[in-house]
Amino acid sequence: MSVLTDHGDPAAGAALHAALPHFTWDAVVDRGDVTVPVDPRHEVEVATYARDRLGYTLFIDRFGADRGEDAEPRFDVYTILYNLQTKKRLHLCASLPGLDPVLPTLIPVFRGANWFEREILDMYGVRFEGHPDLRRILMPDAFPDFPLRREYPMEGLGGWAAPSRAIGGGIDGHDGQIAVNYVPSQPKPAPGHGGAP
Amino acid sequence: MTDPRLLDVEVAEDRDAEHMLINMGPQHPSTHGVLRLILELDGEEIRRCEPVIGYLHRGKEKIGETLSYHQFLPYTDRLDYLAPLANNVAYTVACEKLVGVEATPRAQAIRVICCELARISAHLLGLGAYAMDLGAMTIFLWTFREREQIYSLIERICGARFTTSYTRVGGVERDLPADFLPKLEAFVREFPGRVDEYESLLTRNKIWVRRTQGIGVISREVALAYGLTGPNLRGSGVDYDVRKDHPYCGYEQYEFEVPVGSTGDCYDRYLVRIEEMRQSAHILRQVLDTLPAGPFINRDDRVLKSVLPEKTKTLTNMEALIHQFMVATESICAPAGEAWFSAENPKGELGFFLRSNGGPSSTRCRIRAPSFAALQCLVEIVPGHMIADIMAILGSIDFVMGECDR
Repeated sequence: MSVLTDHGDPAAGAALHAALPHFTWDAVVDRGDVTVPVDPRHEVEVATYARDRLGYTLFIDRFGADRGEDAEPRFDVYTILYNLQTKKRLHLCASLPGLDPVLPTLIPVFRGANWFEREILDMYGVRFEGHPDLRRILMPDAFPDFPLRREYPMEGLGGWAAPSRAIGGGIDGHDGQIAVNYVPSQPKPAPGHGGAP
Repeated sequence: MTDPRLLDVEVAEDRDAEHMLINMGPQHPSTHGVLRLILELDGEEIRRCEPVIGYLHRGKEKIGETLSYHQFLPYTDRLDYLAPLANNVAYTVACEKLVGVEATPRAQAIRVICCELARISAHLLGLGAYAMDLGAMTIFLWTFREREQIYSLIERICGARFTTSYTRVGGVERDLPADFLPKLEAFVREFPGRVDEYESLLTRNKIWVRRTQGIGVISREVALAYGLTGPNLRGSGVDYDVRKDHPYCGYEQYEFEVPVGSTGDCYDRYLVRIEEMRQSAHILRQVLDTLPAGPFINRDDRVLKSVLPEKTKTLTNMEALIHQFMVATESICAPAGEAWFSAENPKGELGFFLRSNGGPSSTRCRIRAPSFAALQCLVEIVPGHMIADIMAILGSIDFVMGECDR
């Protein structure tokens, strides 16, 4: 397994933590991947340091993950960076609360974060402060929910539910849709922020 | 359908000019799928380009959280549907990293064959469509001649031409058939000459050169910030190839060059892909010479619980039948934790992030699609070009919407 587990650089994770001890925690190494937990409020500083001082210039990915309704912190936003000189990868992980998850945008550091952050909003309802164009990207604009949240059912909800025959059931209701009383996922975004644009 | 976004588009700063908004796609032959571009035009010149995606979104990441690791495999066929074998390999290696299983040497070599055949096939389609959009019809027909051969080879490998689902955790689904290697050998012998033929039609063709050189220039800095990978990144002069820098499936045993462009224009990306096809054929030649014997799937005692038993044994042996039943119904259970694996696919770096809590399916199945990052870059590189240059830029970016929208 050696070739698959030499991608991370524990030294870089330690260096990042040593340089910004108040913004980061000790790096976690799992199957060779080095993940540095980051204070969400200071993610921009950490990413800037990793890019400019540690050489992680290639932006690979930014995505969300959900630990489930009961977990706290509930959401994780991962950022994957790559160093072309040392040939190593670095994962940053900012953990957010389930209620009103907010994170500063990473666009000033990596312009490519734009669409990736829109996708995280689309799928999890995580908002990015300072994002110039924060609206849904993959789901329809009028979609009311955040489908990758763990509690969102596979077959959908309400008017957006899949026809029951598509998931192996008989057709019920009038139009082949599963009759589900639509209730938006909890917790709701705080008023004024408008989780769904 | 009137999109509200079309109505509240900000009027450009130049109030004297008459700017026109035009919708290109989602049904347009050169958008290769369901990509929609909102273009703001000043005459023939593009002032603003906004890609709109999501028309092909099928919720694959959500599906990945509800299915077992093997059940999700057929869904990876439909990511980059021009290179399903390469997707299968990338996903399976990610699962193997999570589970802690390693494929046998023979399986790894077979996977390299799969990846390189997929790369050639995907590049051929990309090149053919690229050239056809710019008016060179012949190339398209010629590349499909070779793609037909590749599809026949893939059919020999796994029985399907398009939706392959060939790999398994620990190896591959079945061994190569006896007549496969001679057929592959014939293809590899013939293919470099075919690439020369394509080049004879394009590389020094005045029309081709004028339509691609200096068009769609992606600087190194933009390519890095936008997360471009694969031939698009290398066309901009960045030497990064996952096969070289983080070899998987034994790529370190094969000798090959990583072509790198200099200016990052459409012509450079074309040259990079042409050379990559030659290098792929070179790799295939080496695999043919060194293909190890041995089992095609890892059935060590240590990982036995994670792989399906031999089919013939399940017909005569009760334990094997129970074992197959357990693996098929309860799935393999990966130890809790996270794993990220990315592979060098034809379009770029295809990454999978799998998170397991010890159960039979992942609790997060992130798919990092190279086309997603590449299409975002259009915002930056298209403005300033003429509308006809869009065909060249889209063709040279070589994206696929199945992967972008997931």
